[in-house]
Amino acid sequence: MTTLLDVTSVTIDYINGDDVTHAVRDVSFSLEKGEFVGLVGESGSGKSTLGFAIAGLSKPPAHVTGGQVLLDGVDIASLSPEQLREQRHGGVAMVLQSGMNALNPVRTIRNHFRDIFEAHGHIEKDRWDARAAELVQKVKLPATVLDRYPGELSGGMRQRISIALALSLEPKLMVFDEPTTALDVLVQHAVMDTIIELQQSEGFTALLISHDLGVVLESAQRVLVMHDGEIVEDAPAQSILNSPQDDYTRMLLSHYADPRADVVELPGFEDRGKRAGKPRAEGAVHPPSVHGRERRSDQKPIVVENLTKVYPPPRRGEAEVVAVDHVSFTLDPGESLALVGASGSGKSTIAKLITAVEKPTSGSIRFGDLDVGSLRRGQFRRLHSEVQMVFQDPYAALNPLHTVEYTLTRPVVNFTKLRGRDARRRVLELLETVGLTPVEEFAAKLPHQLSGGQRQRVVIARALASDPQVIIADEPVSMLDVSLRAGVLALLEDLREQWGVSMLYITHDLLSARIVTDNIMVLNQGRVVERGDTADVLRNPQDDYTVQLLDSVPNPRRSRVA
Amino acid sequence: MTSVTAAPRGVDADPEVDEKTEAPPSRSGNPWGYILRKIGLFLLTLWAAVTVNFILPRLMPGTPADAALARLAQNGPVSEATKAAIEAQLGVPTGNLFEQYIQYLGQVVTLNFGVSYTFYPQTVSELVSTALPYTLVLVGLVTIIAFILGTLLGVLAAWKRGTWLDTLPTVGGAFMSAFPYFWTALLLLFFAGYVWRLFPTSGAYGPTATPAFTWDFFVDALYHAILPAVTILITSLGGWILGMRNTMIPTLGDDYVAFAEANGLKPRTVALRYAARNAILPNLTSFGLALGGVVGGSILVEQVFGYPGVGYLLFNAVTNQDYPLMQALFLMITLSVLVANFIVDILYGVLDPRTRR
Amino acid sequence: MTTTRQPMRDATQDIRTVQPTGAPPNPWQVFARTAGTIWSNGKARLGLIILAFFVLLAIFAPLIAPYGATENGFDRSADASPEHWLGTTAAGEDVLSQLIWGAQISIFVGLVAGALSTLVAVLVGLSWGYTRGFIADVINFIVNLFLVIPGLPLMIVIAAYLSGGGIGMIIVVVVITGWAWGARVLRSQTQSLRSRDFVTAAVFSGERPFRIVFREILPNMTSLIVGSFFGAATAAILAEAGLEFLGLGDSSIVSWGTMLFWAQNSNALLTGQWALLFAPGLCIALLATSLTLINFGVDGISNPRLREGKQR
Repeated sequence: MTTLLDVTSVTIDYINGDDVTHAVRDVSFSLEKGEFVGLVGESGSGKSTLGFAIAGLSKPPAHVTGGQVLLDGVDIASLSPEQLREQRHGGVAMVLQSGMNALNPVRTIRNHFRDIFEAHGHIEKDRWDARAAELVQKVKLPATVLDRYPGELSGGMRQRISIALALSLEPKLMVFDEPTTALDVLVQHAVMDTIIELQQSEGFTALLISHDLGVVLESAQRVLVMHDGEIVEDAPAQSILNSPQDDYTRMLLSHYADPRADVVELPGFEDRGKRAGKPRAEGAVHPPSVHGRERRSDQKPIVVENLTKVYPPPRRGEAEVVAVDHVSFTLDPGESLALVGASGSGKSTIAKLITAVEKPTSGSIRFGDLDVGSLRRGQFRRLHSEVQMVFQDPYAALNPLHTVEYTLTRPVVNFTKLRGRDARRRVLELLETVGLTPVEEFAAKLPHQLSGGQRQRVVIARALASDPQVIIADEPVSMLDVSLRAGVLALLEDLREQWGVSMLYITHDLLSARIVTDNIMVLNQGRVVERGDTADVLRNPQDDYTVQLLDSVPNPRRSRVA
Repeated sequence: MTSVTAAPRGVDADPEVDEKTEAPPSRSGNPWGYILRKIGLFLLTLWAAVTVNFILPRLMPGTPADAALARLAQNGPVSEATKAAIEAQLGVPTGNLFEQYIQYLGQVVTLNFGVSYTFYPQTVSELVSTALPYTLVLVGLVTIIAFILGTLLGVLAAWKRGTWLDTLPTVGGAFMSAFPYFWTALLLLFFAGYVWRLFPTSGAYGPTATPAFTWDFFVDALYHAILPAVTILITSLGGWILGMRNTMIPTLGDDYVAFAEANGLKPRTVALRYAARNAILPNLTSFGLALGGVVGGSILVEQVFGYPGVGYLLFNAVTNQDYPLMQALFLMITLSVLVANFIVDILYGVLDPRTRR
Repeated sequence: MTTTRQPMRDATQDIRTVQPTGAPPNPWQVFARTAGTIWSNGKARLGLIILAFFVLLAIFAPLIAPYGATENGFDRSADASPEHWLGTTAAGEDVLSQLIWGAQISIFVGLVAGALSTLVAVLVGLSWGYTRGFIADVINFIVNLFLVIPGLPLMIVIAAYLSGGGIGMIIVVVVITGWAWGARVLRSQTQSLRSRDFVTAAVFSGERPFRIVFREILPNMTSLIVGSFFGAATAAILAEAGLEFLGLGDSSIVSWGTMLFWAQNSNALLTGQWALLFAPGLCIALLATSLTLINFGVDGISNPRLREGKQR
């Protein structure tokens, strides 16, 4: 084998005036021709910054301040902009994370190909159309998509098109920067399969950048683990899996498990079956709240019957969208129920209906004597004092201009009789409950001063402020780094057990559903296709759709590379 | 008129499930829905503008009709028919408001706005139809030139961000767009007309020429139109530069521009076919709306240059309290801007494939 | 939306979030930081300096102006001289003094009409952005109507009906024709903010709609509101000058617009008094430019991509 890419002591800084951040520090590695290598790291590890630098696409404020990148022996820093541009044919091609937005909305797919052929002149003009058709077929799309505009294609199709476009450059090296993270779970799986097949049939060298060690181990031969701007481990996939050397790699690995297994344990979580009713073993992260719920007896279930929600057609002349189709279930006091499905399955719509954000088309939702479906705006407080929500994106769920204290004081004042100093004491208690200590310090912070995990804890504290009976958690950890997920899940679990709150846990991630819920409902296109005890359903899935969902869970131990 | 189609309603997510089961992409390019909607909106806006023109004089204190009739009487006896027409138009309560409104609509449809007080016995329609072509040609052509030129300069400024090719057009544009129209006109008139005597100082054609479709008249008219045209060009150019630069800069940060660069497309292609082609869309909408401002500015310009278009006529109508003429002119100006907006809307539909859905 | 998304990041933000400790910024610090951002922009700084110059001129006009605004009795249509730096008008008034006093009118009209237009725009834009359904469609239609009806002709017609109303009338007319643009911009921003999770979260926190609009949404639009104020003030200054130039205002007051009105009516073009033509227009242009320049800095706050700096 010969070396294709040689990266030596590369350092990349973000320079904003006098403010310098080292994003990548003194990184060296090399790629052999024809290799499939994964580059894995959590947010802020510098992996994408490094990927862009390898492709010669670093843009201010990122500056390569040290080291060199040799592609086939040529230092890419020595190339003029025009040489760099020409080198993109037969050099490094890149597929971006946001591949769905990487296409020009006002140009047809065919024109995207033509622009590339025209810029590099590597295809005879009369072969342009034929070559474009060939390329889209390689990514498993019909040639008819060539006459479409990007807006007429689905996200997965657009990502496939951008892979085909990158392929049209006949690259030696393809850098895939999180190529599937913006896609739906099931689509992710299919696109990843295509990438793996293409790499084998076309023979390019591939660098797959991902935050998901599971995805990387499934596809790559060798894995680079990046942490805080440094490569902490560089080893073949098998040895990463079987004998990880670095603590960080070990930590990442510990967060993977197969939801189908008989016993599923994650850091901080003993298997549910084993503990059966006992509090979580190491649940001492947070002191049990003094305000634990005392009125256990008057808790009420949420009863959903024949719930249907139909949206008007998204575009003129199309059919209306049945988001939720005759769904019935009961969420008992203290129960933890998972609602799983891919995007479009209607699970988030159910959350909106239960919290009265949307009105049902038909069917009923009852919470005690409240008919949720017919609540008017003025009556929302009655519902929201008992049913609260934890949002998916902790960055969007907090007003950037309000301090944590303001954010938490509002529901305390609106839902309880506490005012002034009492309200403040309650706010500090809530912060302590969610583990944000020292509480005084966190109370004074603004959202941008908090990390993603800390923000999500504030969001949870806000949901607890009214002392609710039910918490709807809509993908509460999907935007968080893997290493932070377990902590937030553990918090939710503790709250449920110690406060007796019931939880509707909405997710596409079956592993986390297995960890924190007793019962499960699988939704496909608005309909419930399977339901039952979480462990039972996941171990013995009956419906094809459930099997598909299970297959799409990244599993480091299942290599897809032949 | 907002041209951007409404955002899709909050559906759970794209109904994008398994790609294998995904329906083949639907060919959605039916432009007629979009065009019909725009025609409907245009007619509705037209009706509203006509109605505003009817209500406006009725909201004002005093009855302009009294003043108007008194004024008309100076020119000789007023016929009953004229009196009735003026009263209907200016809101003298003959019959109820609804009947007046129907009568007024009839006048609008037949373009019969009665007789001008100032230029008695010429009818308002005659006066307007003589003046309108001058303004339409002058303002129309100059605006299109200014838009194209300004857009190109804006693209260049954004592409060469931070260099003098950016600073000069942006600061210059900000300064020029702050010029009052009439001041630019006065300065040009003073220097090019009086001091250097390069161009005629007033009128749309020389005293010896008569309007006709001849080469000589065309050259003469063009010669007279240069100063007003340059004024409008100077004053409106800056706005287009700034507008395009401001939409172009965020577009340059969009993913498809980054991807186009990553694919090694030529800088020119990236700048024009990718960035500018998208950045121009929101600007097209502002183009339609800013047109009203240019038309307003041209009134001031025509007044300074004594250019016999609708602006000059409107100014005369206002100073002479010639209400029928004023009302008809306002209606025609509004109508022109509405039509221009409608054309821009249709053009937008052609340029943006997303509107065809 | 339930698509898995990458933990928050994109290529340019792939750096560890800095977590400064210590006290949060109070409103004054926020204001200071905003002002600092504007000031750090070279163009905006130039604009602020020009604006400050005219504001000081207007405030201290009684001290600075060599003569009264309407003090006549000097030589008529005189050229520049040591006594009258910019000459005199056809009515025998000092041009420089008129220019200095005239700053008061332009700045007053700009501030008041700009503020009132913005107020209407904020009220309409926010409530329009927060309502849905039929009423929103009706408002949409009305705003669009105001947007397409050409402003100046409408002003001229209204001014003609309200003949001789003076400054107050001009302000009313400018506000009537000038609020729609800002309303539209603020509405679309309100719509985008109201669909954000933190607004939904505020509903869950038991907040009333009024408080949601004014405490959650409004503060996130500060820079847009400031921007639309400067935009409206610029338009107001130009419109006021235009109406007065046409003689549709109160032509007895001394403003830059009326100065040009009298200059044209007294044939300053023929007498060759260029200063009389040049100076008032230049003042209007400079004042309006200064506001446009400040908006470059304001844009930088709301849209970091527009901040100054070499990008490619």
